[in-house]
Amino acid sequence: MATAGKVIKCKAAIAWEPNKPLVIEEVEVDPPQEKEVRIKVVASGLCQSDLYFLLKDMNKHLFPLILGHEAAGIVESVGKEVTEFQPGDKVIPLFISQCRECRFCKNPKTNLCEKGSVGEHDNIANSRITCKGKKVRQFMGTSTFSEYTVVNQIAVAKIDPAAPLEKVCLIGCGISTGFGAAVNVAKVEPGSTCAVFGLGAIGLAAVMGCKAAGAKRIIAVDINPDKAEKAKVLGATDFVNSKDHDKPISQVLTEMTTGGVDYSLECVGNVEVMRSALECCAPGWGVSVIVGYTNLHDITARPIQLMTGRTWKGTLFGGFKGKDGVPKMVKNYLDKKVKLDEFITHNMALDQVNDAIELLKQGKCIRTVLSVSPQ
Amino acid sequence: MATAGKVIQCKAAVAWEPNKPLVIEEIEVAPPQADEVRIKIVATAVCHTDLYHLFEGMPKDGFPAVLGHEAAGIVESVGPEVTEFQPGDKVIPLFLAQCKECRFCKSPKTNQCELGAMVGKESRFTCKGKKVLQFAGTSTFSEYIVIHQIAVAKIDPAAPLDKVCLIGCGICTGYGAAVNTAKVEPGSTCAVFGLGAVGLAAVMGCKAAGAKRIIAVDLNPDKAEKAKVLGATDFVNPKDHNKPIHEVLAGMTNGGVDYSVECVGNVEVMRSALESCLPAWGVSVIVGWTEMFDIKIRPPHLISGRTWKGSMFGGFKGKDGVSEMVKAYLDKKLQLEEFITHNMTLDQINDAIELMKQGKCVRVVMSVSPE
Repeated sequence: MATAGKVIKCKAAIAWEPNKPLVIEEVEVDPPQEKEVRIKVVASGLCQSDLYFLLKDMNKHLFPLILGHEAAGIVESVGKEVTEFQPGDKVIPLFISQCRECRFCKNPKTNLCEKGSVGEHDNIANSRITCKGKKVRQFMGTSTFSEYTVVNQIAVAKIDPAAPLEKVCLIGCGISTGFGAAVNVAKVEPGSTCAVFGLGAIGLAAVMGCKAAGAKRIIAVDINPDKAEKAKVLGATDFVNSKDHDKPISQVLTEMTTGGVDYSLECVGNVEVMRSALECCAPGWGVSVIVGYTNLHDITARPIQLMTGRTWKGTLFGGFKGKDGVPKMVKNYLDKKVKLDEFITHNMALDQVNDAIELLKQGKCIRTVLSVSPQ
Repeated sequence: MATAGKVIQCKAAVAWEPNKPLVIEEIEVAPPQADEVRIKIVATAVCHTDLYHLFEGMPKDGFPAVLGHEAAGIVESVGPEVTEFQPGDKVIPLFLAQCKECRFCKSPKTNQCELGAMVGKESRFTCKGKKVLQFAGTSTFSEYIVIHQIAVAKIDPAAPLDKVCLIGCGICTGYGAAVNTAKVEPGSTCAVFGLGAVGLAAVMGCKAAGAKRIIAVDLNPDKAEKAKVLGATDFVNPKDHNKPIHEVLAGMTNGGVDYSVECVGNVEVMRSALESCLPAWGVSVIVGWTEMFDIKIRPPHLISGRTWKGSMFGGFKGKDGVSEMVKAYLDKKLQLEEFITHNMTLDQINDAIELMKQGKCVRVVMSVSPE
């Protein structure tokens, strides 16, 4: 392409400080170096994890940064020694890489990658994006609220050219995270009973995963009754609003299920809910998976909950290895085995990113897809 | 036997109140009712969970009680409808029953028999006219006990009762935590926190499962030697380091161990044991008992891939596991002698308790009745 080898000036939404609106700025995006890929971002979703770092964690030292880690785009150019990709390829950037060489990549038990697990490749010294003369951190290594971004090839997944980018961008985080939590990590079994706490995009994807895995009963739990309908569209058999009961939610669920659920998934990121999710599992074999993220507080539980046989786990990106899992999920969508359209409640342009943030903060959307660059 | 159908007057160590020495008393043991078995206890040992009840948990309605849950004996008589046992059978009482009928017994995933709760509910013991609780349904600090047949395991008649009594709790609890619950894989690296009988049994289990490296962790350097006899490759004393123990272990193991087992019963150690595991696939199993405090961890430790589990009785189903482990001992696949550091009689139980409290023994086996 005409831009190959040159710095690209383009638009991006910069987070200059924590807890402030993002600002649309012009940025300079360097050409890809060795083993890197420069991607034109076509569509990006906004995820609670972007908000977590902007509004909750608020670590000043991370700023300025460009958020966004759930996106799809087209390869604009590649650096030296890149053989896996070429300009024009449709791709999804990965916030967890898959180098295929480290001991983690070689082990089927994990999707972590030693070369580039979350946070490691967003070191500001390695950023390829500058704004007003300052390097800007490529948050999570992806920075998809930018028309162009540069990513190491170990953190890019090539996808089917037939895939509609404005839909499959969601596979870059939310859908894979929730679906995989049920299928790969909890390993929901056919005929089982599941509970999903929190019906944002991740929770709804977890409901979808429980259904795909053959669960007989999927109890969707949320404090907002408006969330019930979509949960049922995606496979939930019951809806419970914790606020409708005086009893603790774990007791409500235990009573509904003669002793507890077989699998529970926490998709909120709240330590009290994480505790309830563990406690509503059946002793003997119950498995509870933490999907929602927080590092602000401890989770707590009575040891006897584990000693009587419950298992506590957690996951990033639904346990999917990035390069392997993402193309499979895209194919599942194209084969109509995975739904995406139901998750997209709003479409906006990158310029409207702060409106999208407000909607997500208020729980008034599932996913807003931002169109970033024309295809 | 001559005593069948009659009340037996015999000796037992009664805990009248929390935090006080046990008193050797004469008690009355009622004959077994339907589905029950009366057992002459030949040998028993003290386990930390007995001490927990007496000195830490101290439930108000938990006294007076006869403690003890790790023992072996001989069936004296059986109640109506008991077909599985007959007088003379060698048996081990189970604090975790196995009814074989409930949905938990029918699932291979667990040993948490639902009907086990009925065991020991109605005591068959009285002393000085008062009902005395049968702790854990087993109450083995007594020459005779009565227990529901779902909580009794029949064992090989060749088994030496003064050794296999340990299989009634500590050995299965530790060994099973490694083999059944953690599911230690060959070639892996393990860490065992706490080197009492349960921890040493966990070390033994890690070795049996083929672990390449077993790091034994304890504040008492005297515990190192026996840990190595049972298979530990390294010993670490947290007191020898300025860094937190999980950092020490992560440093020794390229990021963390594959499996860790907590055999202390302390929530801070439980936290350290989880944090010592490798993020990607580490599994930590809680074995030590406490009901007094919560475990705590930051979510990212689980979110990055560690698994937190726990088990009771090493995940062994009571009847099946006990007879399997007794057989393993007779086939020389399991060591027991190394765990027995002292032999006493039931009369000396308070001395045994003192040794346990001070960490100066592994197991004290007390002979209760002659065989």
